Amino acid sequence: MVMKLNLTEKDISVLKVVSQVAGIFSLIVALTMIFSLVQLKIINPLDNPVILSVKEQYDKDPANASNAEQVRAMDLMARKAYFSSRWQVETGSYLLLAGAIVFILCQRIISDNEKAMPVIPGARPDVSAKKGKNRKYLIAAASVIMVTAIAASFMLRAGLPEPMSKPGLSAGKSTKGSLKAPEPDKTNWPFFRGQDSRGIAGGKNYPTDWNAEEGKNISWKIEVPKRGKSSPVIWEDKLFITGAENKDCEVYCINKKTGDILWTGSAGNIPGEPDVLPRMDPEAGLAVSTVATNGKEVCAVFANGNLICFDMNGKQKWAKNIGVPETSYGYSSSLVIYNDILLVQFDSDKKISLLGFDLETGEQKWETPRNGRPVWSSPVLAYFKGQPQLIINGNPAVSSYDPSTGKELWEVECMSGDVAPSVAVNSTMAYAVTDYVRLVAIKPGPSPTIVWDDNTYTPDVSSPVATDKFLFLSTGTGDVACYNSEKGDTLWTHYYMDQFYASPIIADDMVYFLDRSGVMHIVKADSHYELVAESSIGENTDCTPAFSDKKIYIRGRKNLYCISK
Amino acid sequence: MGGLGGCKLKGEFTINKRTKNKRIKNLELIMKKALPYIIFLLLLSWHAFLFAQDRFPRPEFETGYTYPTNQLPLQRAQVWEYIDVAVLIGALAVAAWLALKKRSRQGLIWMSVFSLAYFGFYRQGCICSVGSVQNVSLALFNNTYTIPLTALIFFIIPLLFALAYGRIFCAGVCPLGAIQELTALKPIKLPKTVETFLASVPFVYLGLAVLFSATNSQFLICRFDPFVGIFRLDAPYTMIIFGALLLLAGIFVNRPYCRYLCPYGVLLSVFSRFAGRHLTITPAECTNCRLCEDSCPYDAIIPSNPEVSTEEPGKSRKRFILSFVLIPVFAVAGGFILYNLAPVLAGVNSNVRLAKEIRTENETGIESVTKSVAAFKESGKTEAELFEGEAAIIRQFEKSSPWVGVFLGISLGFGMVSLSLRSRKNEYRPDQGKCYSCGRCFKYCPIKAKNGNET
Repeated sequence: MVMKLNLTEKDISVLKVVSQVAGIFSLIVALTMIFSLVQLKIINPLDNPVILSVKEQYDKDPANASNAEQVRAMDLMARKAYFSSRWQVETGSYLLLAGAIVFILCQRIISDNEKAMPVIPGARPDVSAKKGKNRKYLIAAASVIMVTAIAASFMLRAGLPEPMSKPGLSAGKSTKGSLKAPEPDKTNWPFFRGQDSRGIAGGKNYPTDWNAEEGKNISWKIEVPKRGKSSPVIWEDKLFITGAENKDCEVYCINKKTGDILWTGSAGNIPGEPDVLPRMDPEAGLAVSTVATNGKEVCAVFANGNLICFDMNGKQKWAKNIGVPETSYGYSSSLVIYNDILLVQFDSDKKISLLGFDLETGEQKWETPRNGRPVWSSPVLAYFKGQPQLIINGNPAVSSYDPSTGKELWEVECMSGDVAPSVAVNSTMAYAVTDYVRLVAIKPGPSPTIVWDDNTYTPDVSSPVATDKFLFLSTGTGDVACYNSEKGDTLWTHYYMDQFYASPIIADDMVYFLDRSGVMHIVKADSHYELVAESSIGENTDCTPAFSDKKIYIRGRKNLYCISK
Repeated sequence: MGGLGGCKLKGEFTINKRTKNKRIKNLELIMKKALPYIIFLLLLSWHAFLFAQDRFPRPEFETGYTYPTNQLPLQRAQVWEYIDVAVLIGALAVAAWLALKKRSRQGLIWMSVFSLAYFGFYRQGCICSVGSVQNVSLALFNNTYTIPLTALIFFIIPLLFALAYGRIFCAGVCPLGAIQELTALKPIKLPKTVETFLASVPFVYLGLAVLFSATNSQFLICRFDPFVGIFRLDAPYTMIIFGALLLLAGIFVNRPYCRYLCPYGVLLSVFSRFAGRHLTITPAECTNCRLCEDSCPYDAIIPSNPEVSTEEPGKSRKRFILSFVLIPVFAVAGGFILYNLAPVLAGVNSNVRLAKEIRTENETGIESVTKSVAAFKESGKTEAELFEGEAAIIRQFEKSSPWVGVFLGISLGFGMVSLSLRSRKNEYRPDQGKCYSCGRCFKYCPIKAKNGNET
């Protein structure tokens, strides 16, 4: 049964008046509520200037009881005003709803009563024509949405980052624009301080507890035929290291699982090699620079200027002398490979430059002169805003180069003295340090800036290591420090009894600090100091360890150790 | 005279009595009509905790007064979740009976009042089937999220009912539909162009809602639920104003949210098209009297079409084939457009917005003072981490957005195909996709059910 009201015109008039009154009432309440709501949202009663001034007077004379009473009175008044507004809004919402309901109800009854009896509309609708029109309207609606979407995709991009590199693109396929730093590999440790020379190891579960004197967790130990201070590098199952005695320079390929020497490559008797040994630290010798490998070639450079390249089976591909790098402590810069280019940081008293060699033929492709004085640091690969950069801690400038062309990208003059530590990099900044000078955080770019600096903890040989959160360093006086890498705050420091020459390595959320007496101090890579373990090889060492497949390789003064759990 | 006068008086008395009876009857009917609204008003008494948040610091007492400890409300017992599910199923069953068997518009109005009371004001609009779309998509694309069983049931059950009986959920169970149904007074029809354009919005809204929830960016549907602020009497006042405006518009353009926004309605519409038993306009055989032709404010009545179009069959066939062939073209085009739009869409994610603010701060040198930037700076996280996260989110959007485009393209394609079909109909019947089963059309049909059930 359909309920139908039979209202008279008088009833309708009454309902119309009620409806209009309810409508006007609702409108007034709504406006009052909006006003109160705005007041509540934007005005903080305790920010009232009168209260603030009374509070100020009280602060100046806290003993004055009348001031205190005045503050209380004003505070109470402000709160009362605030809660009154809240009450108004709360009550108003009920009144508004009541008014709206009365209005809608009256309107509904009026409209029900006024509803005309169903009538037969005009001509019978043409369904086909209607569908035809609907098709056109649908296409028009879809076009409007499509055009809006296309316009929005171009117009609303402001403030968004530049298109980033796609995951899965291997680094080095292109020369500029959109590259990302490759993740450290768990097996390969291709350069001094590992992947890109950044000092960060891939993989997990590296040993923390060993003792070489007791043989605990030592997989193997071999004596390196010739001495040297170069650090081990690893590609798959092969470990490479150099040694030299007098003028005899050698590259050793060692089975990383057994410690057997697979082949020895001689790097002597190369045309251009000097008859007289260059000036060098007698302790350091000719084999200080660490080799570089890409899994197809392994290249080494010695302090007499001999540069040599072998394939992975020890067959010499090419060799040349690039000139004797005469410096007060001897040449020590390690090699880096970028795509098919071998990068050599050449520092001597006569000239300093960055050299690029064709890895396949040994042909020099370019040379970029550098300004300043020779240093003993090594180049580091970084990727800032998708652009690969080779960064050198120099004197006086920290400088950046395109690793493909050698073109200088930027430089910041901020160093002096004997610069030996290499830079540390993370995804946004480069960190350079020199003992007795300072530690600086550089924001790279066409106009690079120093974001923060500090001179409390400055290593003389060891290089710092950075993540996006932390910067860790170890000094020649035995201090270890952790900074907030973004802001430069010193998060923690710790003093050990021995000096550090080896560079710290971050592996598995821990930092491995190897001191000169051969003790590895392992601490959590965190904002507070937490020692995980201390383990020793019982032999002095200055070389930076290599990390590969859950094993650590440390070169001592005489021996090479493989440490595993 | 006295007799005549007495007669006259008697006559007046009889007329007055009849008028009085009529007035009483009218009053009773008005009261009956008013009752839902009175209940609606009473429901608001649940909102005593309005504006309960702290606005400014507590007073500094020096009298030894100790503050009472904060009381955290107890978590709602699990059993109530099951009660919610039982109420949902019960309400759907009753609504289906009212719409299909009883054919009672008044009953459906009462069902709307109940749903508004229970799912709207008592449960405060949460959980609702409309929002559960997001829980489902988040669960489908995120291993770390486990969907609550009730959310899953709230998503599935109305769809199953739609598959069985049409959009019963919209008829009287959805609180969002109920509040609009009760305030729908003077239906007017929008121009067909505007109607078609607005009707395509729910598809876009559904696509974006699924995208944003799947990428863990935000629950768009809940955030822009226009009526939840009214149910809770607590929301940003822009949303309350939006809700109020929508209700005001709904007086004339009935159920504007259901028709032009509701993303769940898209799914219900698809399921309802295949409903096993749907509401009918007439309880018996349609006589083609045409009285119901303009009765539906939602344009959900398909008129009879005894004479197939005069258009050549070959032409219609060609159009049908072309529409069918265009489906993959629309899908690919949609995918491509949305792929281009992905970085913009990623801006919905709060981390992307934060990264944008930080980048602007770095570029302009003007320190941002927003709460999110201040919170980020206090969190100890680095900008590099933030930007890395931003890049990851954008990549996620680049992977997901094209699928939204494909969905929209396919929807457009099938829309075109359905408009290219030639069909002959001998009766007036509801458009099963569009019909909300509200029962407005019942009273326009002169044929009444034999059992006299119809009200």
